[in-house]
Amino acid sequence: MTTSRPACLDWLQMLTGICLVVFMYLHALFLASIILGPGAFNSLADFFEKYYLAQKGGPAIALVFLVHFFLAARKIPLSSREQKKFLSAAKMFRHRDTWLWMVQVVSAVVVLLLGAIHMWVVLTDLPITAEKSAARIQTGYWLVFYMLLLPMVELHVGIGWYRLGIKWGFIKSAARHRAKRAEYYLTTFFILLGLIILVRFLLLSS
Amino acid sequence: MRVIYTDLLCIGAGLAGERVAIEAAQAGFETVCLSLVPSRRSHSSAAQGGMQAALGNCIKGHGDCPDVHFQDTVKGSDWGCDQEVARMFVDNAPVAIRQMDYWGVPWNRVVAGRSCYYKGGERLEKEEPLEKTGLITARDFGGTARWRACFCSDGTGHAMLYPLDNVAVKYGVQVHDRTEALSLIHNGEQCLGAVVRCLKTGRLLAYLARATLIASGGFGRIYRASTNAVINEGGGQIIALDTGVVPLGNMEAVQFHPTGIVPTDILVTEGCRGDGGTLLDVKQERFMPGYEPEKAELASRDVVSRCMHEHMARGLGVKSPYGDHLWLDIRHLGREHISVKLREVDEICKNFLGIDPAEQLIPVRPTQHYSMGGVRTDKNGAAYGLKGLFSAGEAACWDMHGFNRLGGNSLSETVVAGMIVGRKIVEFLQGHEISLNTGLVRNELKKQQERINRLMSRDSGERVYDLRNRMQDILMDYVGIFRNEKDLNTAVDELREVLHRTGNLKLSSSGTGADPELALALRLPGMVRLALCVAYGALERRESRGSHARQDYPARNDRDWLVRTLACWPESRDLPRLEYEPATRIVEIPPGDRGYGGGGVIS
Amino acid sequence: MSRKLKYSIFRYNPVDPDSKPGMQEFFLQETENLNLFVALNILREVQDPSIQFDFCCRAGICGACGMVINGRPGLACRTKTADLPDQVSLLPLPGFRLVGDLSVDTGSWFRAMNEKIRSWVHTDKEFDPQEQEVCMDNRVAEKIYELDRCIECGCCIAACATAQMRVDFLGAVAMNRIARFMIDPRDKRGHKDYFEVVGTDQGIFGCMGLLGCQDVCPKNIPLQDQLAYVRRKMGWQALRRLMPGQA
Ligand SMILES: Cc1cc2nc3c(=O)[nH]c(=O)nc-3n(C[C@H](O)[C@H](O)[C@H](O)COP(=O)(O)OP(=O)(O)OC[C@H]3O[C@@H](n4cnc5c(N)ncnc54)[C@H](O)[C@@H]3O)c2cc1C
Ligand code: HEM
Ligand code: HEM
Ligand code: SF4
Ligand code: F3S
Ligand code: FES
Repeated sequence: MTTSRPACLDWLQMLTGICLVVFMYLHALFLASIILGPGAFNSLADFFEKYYLAQKGGPAIALVFLVHFFLAARKIPLSSREQKKFLSAAKMFRHRDTWLWMVQVVSAVVVLLLGAIHMWVVLTDLPITAEKSAARIQTGYWLVFYMLLLPMVELHVGIGWYRLGIKWGFIKSAARHRAKRAEYYLTTFFILLGLIILVRFLLLSS
Repeated sequence: MRVIYTDLLCIGAGLAGERVAIEAAQAGFETVCLSLVPSRRSHSSAAQGGMQAALGNCIKGHGDCPDVHFQDTVKGSDWGCDQEVARMFVDNAPVAIRQMDYWGVPWNRVVAGRSCYYKGGERLEKEEPLEKTGLITARDFGGTARWRACFCSDGTGHAMLYPLDNVAVKYGVQVHDRTEALSLIHNGEQCLGAVVRCLKTGRLLAYLARATLIASGGFGRIYRASTNAVINEGGGQIIALDTGVVPLGNMEAVQFHPTGIVPTDILVTEGCRGDGGTLLDVKQERFMPGYEPEKAELASRDVVSRCMHEHMARGLGVKSPYGDHLWLDIRHLGREHISVKLREVDEICKNFLGIDPAEQLIPVRPTQHYSMGGVRTDKNGAAYGLKGLFSAGEAACWDMHGFNRLGGNSLSETVVAGMIVGRKIVEFLQGHEISLNTGLVRNELKKQQERINRLMSRDSGERVYDLRNRMQDILMDYVGIFRNEKDLNTAVDELREVLHRTGNLKLSSSGTGADPELALALRLPGMVRLALCVAYGALERRESRGSHARQDYPARNDRDWLVRTLACWPESRDLPRLEYEPATRIVEIPPGDRGYGGGGVIS
Repeated sequence: MSRKLKYSIFRYNPVDPDSKPGMQEFFLQETENLNLFVALNILREVQDPSIQFDFCCRAGICGACGMVINGRPGLACRTKTADLPDQVSLLPLPGFRLVGDLSVDTGSWFRAMNEKIRSWVHTDKEFDPQEQEVCMDNRVAEKIYELDRCIECGCCIAACATAQMRVDFLGAVAMNRIARFMIDPRDKRGHKDYFEVVGTDQGIFGCMGLLGCQDVCPKNIPLQDQLAYVRRKMGWQALRRLMPGQA
């Protein structure tokens, strides 16, 4: 008898994906409060702190992140034969959605490394405050770090929800092109928002 | 020597071949189908409009029954058919179609309530009763008294072949695709199998079988312009003829379909006219009612094609770089009807003509379409001349089509004959053993290998494609819709010359592996022989009947020509030997007026 | 003025030990209404009779002539040269065994696929020749036909990087076939049975939603929606199986 494993893993991949998408967009909106000023940012951070959302939520997200990674890694071609096949297929066939998948894989690798470091750094240095964050972004290579992580995450997340919609049928073929356009706009929006946030942190005097 | 043994060898994996194979496989016999292409690419998949079966479910088919279907078929054949076979056929067609339904064909169904339809451009209304809802419905086709052509949009052949091939998969029917039967192995009395060339590797194999079936479809590609697939080159008829003892029946009966598109000769289905489409001339006026007041566009194919030809000859065709043509108008049927019920036509017009049939006229002219003639069999599908050899489908002359096949009767023939012949083959297999003579097999293999070696080693001679084109042009020019003694004489003389020249073919390629030029070179002499059977049979038949229209003998002559031509090709001759047998032994409907087509009758 | 088109055609005859894979160039004047069916046949008849390629219906209905045309899998018979640039590159469909040049063995692939997914109507009912056909709603019949229009051309397999990467992936064509049986009331299989054949990583859960299939299918089969439909059904089926008391 066929086992349910592939199906269940696919479910989990979807669910972890959705969690991460929702988290990332909320995460960006939360950070956006810095635009209003450190006060707004800090009171939001306090709020999360008070209800243990950072202490419990943080590790939970870290776990989801890890699980998602293990699930998604199944799909990444590991042998060089497979990689070559995929690459040659994608090269021969200049097809947007196939290339988007490549973008997802490449961004995933960056996100895995940088995302993990980022979470480690932030979560081992609780509570979150505007001042600490600003200090971090103003020192060392953190700016470069975020400048790299930001677009990679947004691309990965944007393509991620688009693909989820396609795979499970939330996005029907008739709506596909509209959905893809929405995905581009949304991704651009969040990258711009992220840049503004970074600039705002940079300009925050401690 | 590589030899494959099986109980039944089907040469052909279209609807007819596979239907027979399934019957044998269900009875527990090992069955192998050969096919030039994967089975689902067989030309059956190209059939569009529908399959005739007298179900009488839809309101316009009300009162239909096998008797009416029988009358239509016999009239359609211009009394050239075997009435005993036609009777068996019409009685079994409803069973066959229901079985296809049982196997998964998505036949269109009756939808209760009022709806409009078109007839000859005129909008009419009909109302389907509630109690027939969900039963298989039908559309109108030419030459029929009732709506009887059951359909799946206009991809009926495809929608039948896929489920049937599924059933073949289920019962373990083996399909050896990309193989070509080159000759039959026989001892003059019994057929023992075939020598086969693998079209992947070029290797020769021998297949030995207790029964062999030829279901290789039509041979339309002896004509340059044909609606047929490019693989319809008559392979099965050729190997039967090559035995010298198996006759081909009525080879001169070649059907021209009124609506091949110009320039690519792709068919657009009779369903276009059945659903109310009209034919227009250069003035964009209907002309069919002038020739056939009663049936107009829906007279039988031979009649409509002739009228179109005549009308163009009067200068009323539309001029184009590809010659004259007429228009098919389905614009009034509306975009929705076209995109649902005539989907393939819609796609063909858009992809191949770059026109939208809901807005624009379709350029059409009569085009070679169907071979009524083929391997002559008795009513059980057993070929004349060799024991253990059977034939079914378009390859056979079973003969329910006589001199003109009605649209939709061919798809039915494939599955009805498949069912009946299949059963007979099972009976035959149950009581028949063959004794193997390995010498015979070795000889036949050697003979074919020598042909190949000769072709590969000759360093000067005739170009394969040139001769094929020459043959096709001769048939186009001299053995078309209208025929006469002078043209036919020319055709026979020139074809004989071409045949002679095919004895000296030279390849331009190396001939290794699956070389396509070699495949054609092996087939070509046989194709020219088929062409000669057509031309010579037509020359000798001094009357007009169905699709065989002689300008010098315009009347149907039931006194002298109520017969079927049998063409045999004894070795070393350059013309077939023609014999004749009565068209039908059992007469349910004596010859009479068809009710369309005009023309005199000599009785 | 008519163009002179350059055709770069993949050449390799695996049966010939002297043959090496490579591209060969041909030139042909473009004529009105020229399509690749006509063009390739002229090349074969006039310039090189050994070129292997497959055509059958030459009307876009049999699926024989799938090949990669300027990087895109499609039906050659339906491709007008007017829609192509001055240079046309033609490759055999990847993912299938090469027979020679542009010709590939789709027959064996599809037969194996159909065997694997048990592509036939499953029913306990015997056929009764006396009986009337079982009623069916016409909309259902039309919907089945819509999915049945697949011509097994193989373009969706050639265009699916997943299928290229993982040879045992059954591809969009198989999922569409299963969807066709799911909506057919004559097929008595339940989702449990379908799960056995496509509830796997070779089946629907192998699909990564790349949509190359959807974008090349010459018959415009709604593959994207069928894949999603099968995924949902198989996903639910897996959950149902996890429930206590369910097999
Ligand atoms: C465009 C078109 C539309 C049509 N529409 C309709 C319609 O609407 N209604 C209707 O009733 N009829 C229609 N017909 C006619 C009908 O489709 C055919 O007559 C019928 O399908 C023939 O089926 P078959 O099984 O006899 O042969 P085919 O389906 O042609 O199969 C022949 C088989 O033989 C194989 N073969 C041939 N030669 C060899 C060889 N030498 N060795 C090995 N294998 C060989 C081929 O590979 C193939 O598998 C149409 C025909 C055409 C051309
Ligand atoms: C740990 C690093 C990560 C890796 C290695 C990774 C890898 C992948 C891969 C390979 C896919 C494609 C799976 C497929 O097509 O079937 C994927 C999909 C996805 N990823 Fe990630 N990812 C990572 C992190 C993230 C993060 C941080 C998010 C969100 C914040 C995310 C969201 C998604 C979503 C929504 C999908 C689509 C889900 C699906 O297709 O089933 N991923 N990921
Ligand atoms: C686990 C919970 C997480 C918390 C509590 C958190 C918190 C923060 C904080 C406080 C910042 C501000 C900068 C800083 O202090 O260094 C930040 C920025 C950022 N985080 Fe996270 N983060 C979490 C998870 C993630 C994950 C999983 C990712 C992606 C893989 C991510 C990507 C980013 C990015 C790209 C920025 C830059 C901000 C921007 O420019 O918008 N974070 N995060
Ligand atoms: S689904 Fe489309 S692309 Fe795939 S085989 Fe069928 S017709 Fe071809
Ligand atoms: S291209 Fe392949 S990955 Fe899925 S969506 Fe189509 S089958
Ligand atoms: S030759 Fe049949 S689809 Fe192109």
